[in-house]
Amino acid sequence: MAGTEPILQVFFWSLAAAFAAGLGGLPQAVVGRLPQRLLGWGNALAAGLMLGVAYALLDRGLGDALLMGGLGALVGMISVEATHRLTGTEELDLNRLGELDSAYGYQVVVVTALHSAYEGVAIGTAMLLSVPFGISMTAVLAVHNVPEAMLLTAVLRARRVAVSHVATLAVAAKLSQVLLAVAVFALGASRVEALPLLVGFSAGALLQLLLEELLPEAYRQAGSTGIALVTLVAMGMVVALGGLA
Amino acid sequence: MSDVVLVFGYALLTALATGLGALPFAFVRQVSARAITWSNAIAAGLMLGASFGLVSEGSTHGRLETLGGALAGVVFILLTQRVLGDHDDAELSFGAIQGAGARKMLLMLVVMTVHSFSEGVAVGVSFGGGISLATAITIAIAVHNVPEGVAISAVMRPQGVSVLRCAGWSVFSSLPQPLMAVPAFLFVDAFRPALPWGLGFAAGAMVFMVLVELLPEAFHDGRRGSVASLTTLMLVAMVLFQRALH
Repeated sequence: MAGTEPILQVFFWSLAAAFAAGLGGLPQAVVGRLPQRLLGWGNALAAGLMLGVAYALLDRGLGDALLMGGLGALVGMISVEATHRLTGTEELDLNRLGELDSAYGYQVVVVTALHSAYEGVAIGTAMLLSVPFGISMTAVLAVHNVPEAMLLTAVLRARRVAVSHVATLAVAAKLSQVLLAVAVFALGASRVEALPLLVGFSAGALLQLLLEELLPEAYRQAGSTGIALVTLVAMGMVVALGGLA
Repeated sequence: MSDVVLVFGYALLTALATGLGALPFAFVRQVSARAITWSNAIAAGLMLGASFGLVSEGSTHGRLETLGGALAGVVFILLTQRVLGDHDDAELSFGAIQGAGARKMLLMLVVMTVHSFSEGVAVGVSFGGGISLATAITIAIAVHNVPEGVAISAVMRPQGVSVLRCAGWSVFSSLPQPLMAVPAFLFVDAFRPALPWGLGFAAGAMVFMVLVELLPEAFHDGRRGSVASLTTLMLVAMVLFQRALH
């Protein structure tokens, strides 16, 4: 796709990342019910990959516009906090497999949709920095979508939702990623001065998300040594990948 | 010869600056559960931000070597944990503090002291580029050490360690800087290849310490949203701070 227009590349790659979420049902289809510890490591894997993307964005994208970057990060962080509070999901336990609760299913889907919207901003921003870099970061987030969807699958399957329904829902909840990625790319391409702001926003939002949603969950599902190792290895892989793009 | 004294003196100044990190804790009287949570989150953010800087710096010298060093850093912490024993080991004591608290403080001190070795090498190697830049580099490293002192004090102060002792241990953790800076300055060519390994080692050890000790404890006692926000803020502030000094 080397000759394709950049904005179409953003569209295709972010769409592919969203569809990767459809694969989240696979581990369960193969193994059956997943042990808690595996879910914890899935959370840690997703968190480590996000941490790596946040590092890569800050390392590459800030340039000398430190104040703009800092302002962006503050807005990104506050924005994630605000959306959590507005939807009543700030202390939501995302991996409750047990008791049924009518509001719970809605909350899980809302959190997933918002989470992927912020990732869309990060994809668009990474693509603005350079298309190869953007593609590598999108690939990382696509991989990250799989364990995330695995958790969603575990929750919904425990409520006896059909596998095909779960896979479709997992992808549908991720589609906000595509919209935001394309919109941010279009915006940033016409307003270059906004780039450090976007870099800061993406990094601040990703950090807040992984620290608020993924890691606390992970620590409750598996021992902290295992979680730390999985998170670090995942982050290391993104750092290694950053050298290629 | 005078150059060696100068490098040592400058690096010693940067070590002393670490002690300033204890200052904010002179104003914290009561050590509540909430203060411990916040301190953990502050230390976690500062250390993660510092590691981002170390990885970034290391990658300019060699990306794979940096990652190799990080792996070694993780293994080192795992071994140190093994030596210090399990969480609930009441036998272990550090001054008047016993058990899990003492273990955590020791681990923190080991991590931060070991990480100073590679920073010392970084100082020495960069001095090797020309002594004229020395003052600028010294001021930068000294200022950069202050938040590291904050991180150490944030772990020690809630355990009841006095502010003066927090400052003392903070300075102690940075003493390897002058000790390593001199040989690194004298034998720049021999030390330069080791630099990415050392920087990676420091980063790996710090991130692992954050993930295995500080964050789980912070999440255990505090609201997730607040812990996440404070950690994010400190991380980004540390990254921007280090960039501004560069």
